[in-house]
Amino acid sequence: MNANIETADVVVVGGGPGGSTTATLLAKRGHRVVLLEKETFPRYQIGESLLPSTVHGIGRMLGVTEELEKASFMVKRGGSFRWGTNPVPWNFLFAVAPELSGPTSYAYQVERMKFDEILLRNAARNGVDVRENVDVKEVIGDDERVRGIRLADGHEIHATFVVDASGNRSRIHQGVRGERIYSDFFQNIALFGYFEGGKRLPAPDSGNILCAAFDEGWMWYIPLSDTLTSVGAVISREHAAKLQGDQEQSLLGFVDRCEIVKDFLSDATRVTEGTYGEIRTRKDYSYTNSTFHRPGMVLVGDAACFIDPVFSTGVHLATYAGLLAARSINTVLAGDLAEDRVFEEFEGRYRREYRVFYEFLSAFYDMQSNEESYFWKARKVTNFNATDLEAFVSLVGGVHSGEQALVQNFRESSGALADAVERTGTMQTESGERMHHLFGTPVVREVMQEMNNIQVRGVQGTAARELPLLEDGLVPAADGLSWVSVGEAK
Amino acid sequence: MTAPLSLERLRSDVAEVLAEEPGSFADDENLIDRGLDSIRLMTLATQWREAGFEAGYLDLAQEPTVAAWWNLLEGKR
Ligand SMILES: Cc1cc2nc3c(=O)[nH]c(=O)nc-3n(C[C@H](O)[C@H](O)[C@H](O)COP(=O)(O)OP(=O)(O)OC[C@H]3O[C@@H](n4cnc5c(N)ncnc54)[C@H](O)[C@@H]3O)c2cc1C
Repeated sequence: MNANIETADVVVVGGGPGGSTTATLLAKRGHRVVLLEKETFPRYQIGESLLPSTVHGIGRMLGVTEELEKASFMVKRGGSFRWGTNPVPWNFLFAVAPELSGPTSYAYQVERMKFDEILLRNAARNGVDVRENVDVKEVIGDDERVRGIRLADGHEIHATFVVDASGNRSRIHQGVRGERIYSDFFQNIALFGYFEGGKRLPAPDSGNILCAAFDEGWMWYIPLSDTLTSVGAVISREHAAKLQGDQEQSLLGFVDRCEIVKDFLSDATRVTEGTYGEIRTRKDYSYTNSTFHRPGMVLVGDAACFIDPVFSTGVHLATYAGLLAARSINTVLAGDLAEDRVFEEFEGRYRREYRVFYEFLSAFYDMQSNEESYFWKARKVTNFNATDLEAFVSLVGGVHSGEQALVQNFRESSGALADAVERTGTMQTESGERMHHLFGTPVVREVMQEMNNIQVRGVQGTAARELPLLEDGLVPAADGLSWVSVGEAK
Repeated sequence: MTAPLSLERLRSDVAEVLAEEPGSFADDENLIDRGLDSIRLMTLATQWREAGFEAGYLDLAQEPTVAAWWNLLEGKR
C-alpha cells in the first residue's frame, strides 16, 4: 500500500461540537476514528447560548458533565424576550414551573473557545485520533460511495464513513452531491462584539440570554461572565453594504436604536483587545442541504443545515445530529441493519428537528408585528403566498399535507404562540414563572419532544425507554449508541 | 410486556421512579414533595404513553398526584 494512504473506520472532518460528539460516540463503541480539524484549539466561534438537552443530555452521554461544571459557565435558566406586543421582557424558561426543577431547568452560556475544547479533548480521551492543524481538501469516492478524504499534500485516509462536520464555510458537504437551499425569509446578517460592565437582568434571570426586537431587526445580549457580555445585531442582508465601512459605528448605532440594550450598555465599554476585541460579521442565512447522506458520507451540524439563532439552536442541532450520525454508523459497522435503513432514520429525525424549529421560528418572527418596519414586514409568514410555500416545503423537506393545510398550520402556530405569550405575561410575575401555556402550544410541544428524550437518555442511561419518533421508525438500543427495530428493543 | 394501566400500576410505577416503597405515599399527595422532577415525570409519561395513555408530561405536570393522573387517564382513554 502507498505510504500516503492510511485507513480508519470513520474520518470526521471538523472538531466543533458536531464533530466531537459524533467522533466520541463512535469511539465509545470501539471504532477507529480519526478527527481532522483545520485550526488549533482553542479557536474562536460564535454560538454561545446553549440549551439543556446539549448540556444534560449529550453532555452526559459524552461524559463531560463534571468538566462543564468546573468551567463555571454562566447558568442560564431560559431566554428573556423583548419581543411581540409586551413592552417589558417575558421569559421562556426551561422549567415548566419553579417547583419542578431537575437538570432540564438550566443550560449554560459558554465561551466557545472553552466549550469546544472540552468536547474535543474529551474525544481524544475516549480514543479518537484527534489531529489539529489539518485541512481536509476533498472527499474521495466513486459513484457507488464515498471512500475517504484527501489532504492538500496528497495524503489520503480511506474509511467506511466520512462525517462532514466542518461547519458552514467549508465545501466538503458537496461530497454528498446535494445542493444548499436557502430560506427566502431568514437571510439575515449578524454584526457582533463584546462589552465589559454591561447590566444584568435581575436574579434569578441574570444569566439568561436577552433577545430584543427593534425596528431594524433584533439584538442578542448574552452574559458570558459577571462582567463580559456578547452583543450582536441580527439585521436584514440589505444592510450588508453599509457594514463594509466602520463596523464599530454600525454596531453602536444598532445598540443606540434598541432601547433595552442601550440601557443595559449605558455604563459598559466595548472590549477592544484580544479575541473579543474584534467586531465580526457573519452571514446568518437559514439553509438546509437537499440531502444529508449518500453511501459512505453524512453531514452533521452547520455542514447540513442552519437556522436563525434566536432560539440558540445551532449547537443543539449540531450535537443532536452528531448523536444520530453516531447511532447510524455504529449500527452499520456492527452489521445490524442496512445503511439505507439507518440513514433514512437519520435524515427523517434530523429533518423533523429542523422543521419543527423552523416552524417555531416562523411563528416567532410573525409575532413581532411592526407595520412600519421593512425587516419585520418581510418576515411575516401569515402573508405567505404559493411560491413562498413551495420554497418552504423544499427547504424543510419531508412530509407536508398540502399548501392550504400549511397556511392554516402557520396561522395557527403563530396565533397560538402569541396567545400563549400573552397569557404567560411579563417576566418575574406569578404567571410569568409558569410555562404551561407556552409549552402547551403544538409547535413548542414538538420542539421539546426530542430534546426531552435526549435529556432522559442522558440522565437515566440504559434505563431510558424511547418510543419510535417516526412512523415505522427505529428506536435507540439500550446504550443509546445505535438503532434497533422496535421489536428488538423489548 | 408491561401490565395494563390500572390504578395499582400507576402507584407502583410512581414508587419505582421515586425509589420508594409502594404505599408509602397517598394518592392525593403532591409528588413533587416526594422528589418528583422533570426527568422522572418525562419517564412516566413515556412509559404510560407506550401503554396507551396519551397524556404528555405537561398534562401530568399540571397536578402531580396519582389521583389526578388516574382521573386524567379515566377521562382520556
Ligand atoms: C450570528 C450567529 C449567532 C449564533 N448564536 C448561537 C447561539 O447562541 N447558540 C447556538 O447554539 N448556536 C448559535 N449559532 C450557531 C452555531 O454557531 C453553529 O450552529 C455551531 O457552531 C455549529 O457547530 P458545528 O460543529 O456544526 O460547526 P463549527 O462549530 O463551525 O465547527 C466546524 C469546525 O470544522 C473546522 N473545519 C472547517 N473546514 C475544515 C476542513 N476543510 N478541514 C478540517 N476542519 C475544517 C473548523 O475549523 C471548525 O472548527 C449562531 C450562529 C450565528 C451565525
